[in-house]
Amino acid sequence: MPTTVPEVAFSDQRLDNGLRVIVAEDHLAPVVAVNLWYDVGSKHEVKGKTGFAHLFEHVMFQGSRHVAKAEHIALVQAAGGTMNGSTWLDRTNYFETLPAHQVELALWLEADRMATLLDALSQENLDNQREVVKNEKRWSYDNRPYGTFQEKLQGHLFPPEHPYHHSTIGSMDDLDAASLEDVSAFFRTYYAPNNAVLSVVGDVDSDHVRTAAERYFGAIPPNPDIPPLGDLSLPPTLGGERRETVFDRVPLPRVHVGFRAPVFGDPRLDALDLAGQILSGGKGSRLNRRLVRDERIAQDVALFTLGFIGGGSVTAGWATVRPGIAVSRVEAALIEELERLATDLVSEDELARAKALTEADELGALQRVEERADRLSMYSTLFDDPGLINRMLPRYLAVTPEAIREVAAAVFRPDNRLVLTYLPEGSNADDVTLPVEETAEQDDAEGVAA
Amino acid sequence: MSTISEPRRDGPVFADRPEPGAPRAYEFPAVTSRRLPNGLSILIVDLPGRPLVSASVVVIGGAVEEPAGQAGATVLAARALTEGTERFDAIALVEASERLGASLHAEAGWDALTVGVDVPADRLPAALELVAEVLLHPTFPESEVERLRDERLNDLLQAQADPRRRVEEAFVGTIYASAAPYHRPSGGTRETVEGLTSIELREAYARTLQPARATLIVGGDLAGQDVVALAERLFGSWNGDDGSSGPASSIVDSGTSVGRLVRVVHRPGSVQTEIRIGHRGLPRRTPDFHAVSLMGAILGGLFNSRLNMKLREEKGYTYGAGAGFDMRRGAGPFAARAAVNTDVTVPAITDMLAELTRIRDTPVADAELLAARDFLIGVFPLRFETAGAVVGALGSLAVHGLGVEELVAYRSNIEAVDVAAVEAAARTHLHVDDASIVLVGDVDAFGPALEAAGLGPIVIERDEVVGAAGPLTEAPGPLDEDRETGPTAGAEEPEIPALPDEPTGDAGDGTTES
Repeated sequence: MPTTVPEVAFSDQRLDNGLRVIVAEDHLAPVVAVNLWYDVGSKHEVKGKTGFAHLFEHVMFQGSRHVAKAEHIALVQAAGGTMNGSTWLDRTNYFETLPAHQVELALWLEADRMATLLDALSQENLDNQREVVKNEKRWSYDNRPYGTFQEKLQGHLFPPEHPYHHSTIGSMDDLDAASLEDVSAFFRTYYAPNNAVLSVVGDVDSDHVRTAAERYFGAIPPNPDIPPLGDLSLPPTLGGERRETVFDRVPLPRVHVGFRAPVFGDPRLDALDLAGQILSGGKGSRLNRRLVRDERIAQDVALFTLGFIGGGSVTAGWATVRPGIAVSRVEAALIEELERLATDLVSEDELARAKALTEADELGALQRVEERADRLSMYSTLFDDPGLINRMLPRYLAVTPEAIREVAAAVFRPDNRLVLTYLPEGSNADDVTLPVEETAEQDDAEGVAA
Repeated sequence: MSTISEPRRDGPVFADRPEPGAPRAYEFPAVTSRRLPNGLSILIVDLPGRPLVSASVVVIGGAVEEPAGQAGATVLAARALTEGTERFDAIALVEASERLGASLHAEAGWDALTVGVDVPADRLPAALELVAEVLLHPTFPESEVERLRDERLNDLLQAQADPRRRVEEAFVGTIYASAAPYHRPSGGTRETVEGLTSIELREAYARTLQPARATLIVGGDLAGQDVVALAERLFGSWNGDDGSSGPASSIVDSGTSVGRLVRVVHRPGSVQTEIRIGHRGLPRRTPDFHAVSLMGAILGGLFNSRLNMKLREEKGYTYGAGAGFDMRRGAGPFAARAAVNTDVTVPAITDMLAELTRIRDTPVADAELLAARDFLIGVFPLRFETAGAVVGALGSLAVHGLGVEELVAYRSNIEAVDVAAVEAAARTHLHVDDASIVLVGDVDAFGPALEAAGLGPIVIERDEVVGAAGPLTEAPGPLDEDRETGPTAGAEEPEIPALPDEPTGDAGDGTTES
């Protein structure tokens, strides 16, 4: 029962300085989304400077030549808009959604900080945002049950010399070490128009937006010497099972699993996304049905894929162990369900349901100008192909049962598996019937991850 | 980063801020309303170009109306609606829904029970049939109810270990009298949830499901669809039990009257302290709603609010500080909140109290008020981009007996608020001297400073049990609030957006936000 997701029509041009400008008109509501992706993320950080791309993103809200500290946000809000920025392994983005007649305000604000951020940079602002970011780390990771999961996942799935080995939030020591010189160098290197994509979606005139983009961004010089990233390629699998046990302030044990997966953009990852839906999307999914509903050994389950372009993606999941249930039993059931996908074909009905949900999700997501603008920037930055915004759904709908079996066989393998077990502090690993061999391998895993 | 080019970044830039273009008028979409003979209200909003339709049945009556001994029954009953009906077991139901690409959901909060669905427009009839089936013909299978109850008990255990859930639980337990339902989580406490069976859930369901207290809202691109006829077919035979089980006579929302109290839940080694400062607040139908909205925005709602600017942008104490009123049918809580690094716990409290006092004692600046007004007015159209947002807003109004006229008048009502009205709202509704201060953190690290600050009598709870070896059986006390349980949050005010420091991405994607 296919429905129709409306096609996104857009224009795609470059200014002379290399800034890519993508505009999609949509006159349904008097709103506009302005979205800027910079091709820089935590993968560009070097040893001793982890967390820097994200700290820098905070500094981008501390003012520029014509904008005072915190004024960027004040101006957008007073215009009736919302805004934010975010940092991830492969990119950093900044975005505003406003009443459409305020579109130039957002363009001007983004241009002013792209051109003149350093004019407003001060030790005081850097120190202030350093403390804010350290509190973000405490809030999002350190003071949260199971909160260290993501850092450990990346630490295990990517080798120490690979830039995906560390998380975007970085380490406290590295944050403390960040200097004004680091900020200046990072800005001069990466925050250049030829390293960015500007997408504007909404109730605007394309010609007007392009003219305005030229006006505000056109004089910002490019950086012709952006250093290329090294070779990020990786073997397709980990080459052996990795295990770690973490004693944390949690009441219920949780078994996390992680696998190295094909890169974002590889069609095999489309199949893996649908496999995730079949495994854990909703209460009728396989993991929910077996672990939560039927056997009642898990409190909750999850399985999801994080797509990265540099050498490998991450597929990860977890099952939270119900009180009184052996952790080993939950781990075995979780892994058995994943590996079953590698041997048995999913049913046509199962796949059709996963596709129907994917399609409805896409329909909902693309209704919002903010999401459309972000996708256009994303596909341009990562794949030089904004048209993927219209081709991803057909790709999902074309996934076959065989394709799911094939990718599951490639990914859900013992020699590509991380098992990360969180246990309540003070509990004895033996009491929760962990496999005997765990202790030895755990030491090894911790050694590598440290 | 050795190959750094010279800055060469001084090309001409525009010093002058651009003038806005001509605004295009935005009106909240037209709403068609009907009422069926059984009392069910129907609101229909045609939104051309919005192919993902949203439909929701909102029934007034939630956890606030349940007997104290059965606390949690309504929330659990709502959850159980999709666990089996006369025609479908839970799996058949979810599969039928998925084949439509429909996300069917049922939940309850303090004030309402809601069953809803988002679905591509051409499949609305089939999806609404599932909504009706779930709402009107649930079977509450004993085995599934037991599982849901156990999951809730485990969730309560988990909440004990999560500082932000722990502090919310301790906060409401401190500011509300024990006779008030708001004293406990809407999902119930360990003591009450343990006793819940399908019998109590059926009682909660029967108490709640009255067509005269229900509103069906359908929004989206409805071209060619006769929603009224569809509603009559699916809900026309829904008959309420008009006898004994009417709505509760009145909502008990009394606060405690202890004056300033400092309550600390000790969390040894905690790297942050979760802070809540506040008291019993206001019901949604407070006559000065719009003045309170603006006062809350200036104090702690906007990114540039006084609290966030002081604690985050000036002091670097926190990733985000805010304040606000959780407006329910009864007087929900007012809280100022922040999570701060442990060693600045007491200075942070002092700063928060100072801001609560300042907004009472000194009129806000004209520019401050203007900026907040401009934001709330300007952001209005952004709030209603999707059918789900439109339906959600109308649903939250319906809970309070309010209609679309509230939305239509919203911007002019905000425009009319002046400095004196904000000052009056602050002086009337902020009670700094009676505000409780509730903390979850390492009291060994800040205890002496806390005592020296002389904020009021201090009660310290050292009840941390998480991590006890062996089987996990004991969990003390009540816990968290299930937020986002239905449209109970007064969203007819275009919600003040999440602080930029609150991650807005999908849970689990791990993106690090500004």
